Amino acid sequence: MTRWLRLTFAGAVSAVTILSIAAFVDASPASPRTQDQDPVLRGRFLVLSHACGDCHGGGNDPAAKGFLAGMTVPQQEFKIGPCAAAPQDACFKTRPRNLTPDNTTGLGRFSERQIFNALRYGLRPEETADVDITSIVPGQGNFPLHPHYLAVPMPWPSWRHMPDQDLWAIAAYLKRGVKPVNHKVADSEGPPDFWASEYTVEKIGPPPGLSGWPTDPPHGRERTAPWIARMNRAMTK
Amino acid sequence: MTGVAPRRIVPPPVTSWNKPIQRYLLAGLAWATPGLLSAQDTLSVPPILQNLSTAPGVVEMTLTAAPARLSLVPGTVSDVYAYNGSVPGPTLVVREGDRVIIHFHNALPEPSTVHWHGVHVPADADGSPFDPVPPGASKDYVFTVAPGSAGTYWYHPHPDGRSGYQIAKGLYGAIIVRDPHDPLPASLPEKVLVLSDNRVLPDGSLDLPDADSPAGRADMENGREGEVLLVNGQVMPTLTIRSGEVQRWRIVNASAARVYRLAIAGQTFLHVGTDGGLFERPVEVSEIVLANSERVELLVRGTGAPGSQTTLQALAYDRYISQTRPRNWNRSRDLLSVRYAATSAGPAVHLPATLRQVPALDTAQAVARRVIVLSQGLINGKAMDMGRVDVSARLGTTEIWEIENIVGMDHPFHLHGFHFQVLDRNGVPTPYRTWKDTINVPRHETMRIIVHFDDYPGKWMFHCHILAHEDQGMMGILELK
Repeated sequence: MTRWLRLTFAGAVSAVTILSIAAFVDASPASPRTQDQDPVLRGRFLVLSHACGDCHGGGNDPAAKGFLAGMTVPQQEFKIGPCAAAPQDACFKTRPRNLTPDNTTGLGRFSERQIFNALRYGLRPEETADVDITSIVPGQGNFPLHPHYLAVPMPWPSWRHMPDQDLWAIAAYLKRGVKPVNHKVADSEGPPDFWASEYTVEKIGPPPGLSGWPTDPPHGRERTAPWIARMNRAMTK
Repeated sequence: MTGVAPRRIVPPPVTSWNKPIQRYLLAGLAWATPGLLSAQDTLSVPPILQNLSTAPGVVEMTLTAAPARLSLVPGTVSDVYAYNGSVPGPTLVVREGDRVIIHFHNALPEPSTVHWHGVHVPADADGSPFDPVPPGASKDYVFTVAPGSAGTYWYHPHPDGRSGYQIAKGLYGAIIVRDPHDPLPASLPEKVLVLSDNRVLPDGSLDLPDADSPAGRADMENGREGEVLLVNGQVMPTLTIRSGEVQRWRIVNASAARVYRLAIAGQTFLHVGTDGGLFERPVEVSEIVLANSERVELLVRGTGAPGSQTTLQALAYDRYISQTRPRNWNRSRDLLSVRYAATSAGPAVHLPATLRQVPALDTAQAVARRVIVLSQGLINGKAMDMGRVDVSARLGTTEIWEIENIVGMDHPFHLHGFHFQVLDRNGVPTPYRTWKDTINVPRHETMRIIVHFDDYPGKWMFHCHILAHEDQGMMGILELK
């Protein structure tokens, strides 16, 4: 499964775009005025500045038709897997979903907490209970025993380093600041482990903000530090 | 990975049904020639549970769940759980209005219950996870069979988190509630077909993989399916039907997860009833989808050439999420061999114009409209908590529930204790009215149901009937006061 992510994916948004956005997020400090702002407005700023609409529809124009309403043309589909190199080989097709608060086709039935958990931990809201998560050890602190992750290439491993209030603000904007659009996007495909083997601590580092974890993710050679291996073993036990 | 999802074929509403239906029943009599030898059925029939009472209107039975050693899958001997020593368990036959007393003894090494799936019983007789019967203990289940509830039901254990295991071990059986004034002729030969599937290892032990293994993970997602398909506990038994003969089949889906898209090559069925018994007018169908715990009553007429043979099959049905869809999902599987005997049937069968009235529940009376969101392993975003009430409703009221499946796999929804009517599917009214207690909610679809809570206060479960999902907590609690 390791090879899936290394391979390029086809689609309207290139890997370069995604990576450059990710780099931007990692470098950007939290706004000092974050807590003063209306969360919906703050969320709107974050959604626009992080170019969610580049994949999910409408670009950076909230007035555009289908803004955040998900994939509308086949070019927006991602092909993850060996077919990128050898077209006859299999791929998982993943599709930017509808992020508007429509009940049947969007995020309408998910709580802001489920959206927060999706952005912070990458957990698919339709398979993750609406609860506060206080651990990333599977089966502990409400972290699912068998986590189901959002489809690749959603860059949540970068987004998750935003401060809590920014992630809550994005959730607030998606639930309360966007007009619901009824538009069904076909479900994304994926491996039977719902990408779990791609999102281990060893591969992406730990999330911020949980007790017992370093506040800042280790970089460079520290990624292979023994404590990470120990944590990972504890997680997969 | 992708495939065109086969879907239930909804027959058009039949307005002047009587003529075509009579044609259905009569055609084929041309085959009626004096027979030579009557072929023998190999289809075994589960024993009828013996009534110990001699008092009229009282049915008293003893049911024991105990470990046993018998063949669950032909060719192997397994350590199983059995009701009164047989798998499937004995069939309970009761009549509307009967006072039923069942002395249940739990001789299993673990707590269990008996849930009378679909039967309208008081909450304390429902065999829900709230009332576990400890190992070695007994419980009397006492209820009165509601008038108008004639139909086909089933019973199975429903302990907290262990239903899938105990049913896989062999605990399930059929229930028939008879109507003293059944509109269908008593002369119709009746066949009870309990469908199940299982998976055993070569040494006979149950194949229940560790939840952390890939196979175990797939079972958690899809529900546990077995490659061995059983009818009344047998692999591909033979059922004989005479030329022109009309048989009444009562089919129960007792599988943990498998959905059966039933069809017989060269045959149609007359669909006459569902979970809660007969509906108003028969509908001729070429196939029928039976989700977990659903039941169906079909009239089947012997239309094949005498001496020929056909097969009742489970056609491929795509109920899966793409991530864990089994490789061989797109395969038809044989269930039952149907042999057309050389002997002819008796006199032609005539059906009444209306089987029975199914009065519509009045939507104007609904005092609450609720949304029940089904996602993978969760209801309304939550896993079941025995200490939490998810829905509080008042006794004597009518409610409309909108059951929304927001994920990419089907979830069969079961409400304990009360029959409901399906109003519409994705806003399209259902073609005919029927009483249901379990309804398949296909992926990304919405079913709107109406239910009247006429009596029996207490706590009731509603849940996905894929047993692995139910055991994970894809269940909610309704409290009626």
